[in-house]
Amino acid sequence: MIDFAAVTVGDELPPLDLLLTRPDVVRYSGASTDFNPIHYNDRLARAIGLPGVVVHGMWTMGAALRIVTDWVGDPSLVASYFVRFVAPVVVPDDDQGTTVQVRAKVSAVSDDVIAIAIEATHGDDKVLGAAKAEVRRRE
Amino acid sequence: MPITAEHVGRSYPATKPYRVSRAKIAEFASALGDRNPAYFDADSPIAPPTFAAVIAAQAWGAMFDDPDLGLALRRTMHADQRFDIVRPLREGDDVVATLTIERVRSRGTTDMVTIGVGLATVEGEELGTATSQLIHTREETTA
Repeated sequence: MIDFAAVTVGDELPPLDLLLTRPDVVRYSGASTDFNPIHYNDRLARAIGLPGVVVHGMWTMGAALRIVTDWVGDPSLVASYFVRFVAPVVVPDDDQGTTVQVRAKVSAVSDDVIAIAIEATHGDDKVLGAAKAEVRRRE
Repeated sequence: MPITAEHVGRSYPATKPYRVSRAKIAEFASALGDRNPAYFDADSPIAPPTFAAVIAAQAWGAMFDDPDLGLALRRTMHADQRFDIVRPLREGDDVVATLTIERVRSRGTTDMVTIGVGLATVEGEELGTATSQLIHTREETTA
């Protein structure tokens, strides 16, 4: 558990690298009940102009939040969370998969909440834009 | 007939209650690669914050089925997502979702539609809101 009283603007959270393979995407389809075929079928993904199967934006959103919840410890403190979906994450059909890098820092501190700005990148692509979570302070 | 700003404020009846289960919480957290003990608590597991989207999405059907709007899910992209959380979803919650069209901006054949889905227990306790901006492309029509 972090010491909320010691948190200051600019503090960097421990970095998080998310390894992602095709089976992970299938697993998220089932767990979320989002069975859009662009998340498992290369042919249909290409038909709408994607290079291949892409992971759900909601997976990236959900998995990236771990940088915050691992840091605060208690996920019930999350008060709000926003992301813009900027670029899709293409997941190769191989055993190595691909990695999404998540970085975050404290962007504001008030009496009630701590705001955290989150960045998620995949190779050279920024995949989440203006991502921000707020956690309730608990002294 | 396309969606327009005139449809702002339209809401749909609440979805059927969704029972949050321990098994589904564990499945969802595992799919995110998230082993936070709060999601696997033996007594009262809570759901990851973004699990709210799974229930909120059940409210989308009513809007996509609304013949006044001419929307199709396959011509829709998810532009952004926000969660405002009153309290986490917990095992045993019976959750209903109510969708309201909050904003519509149209340009050419593209509609930017913001929808807010309020989540509450069947007892009426507010749990939070899942707000999504969708980019919808209208079907080309031949005059």
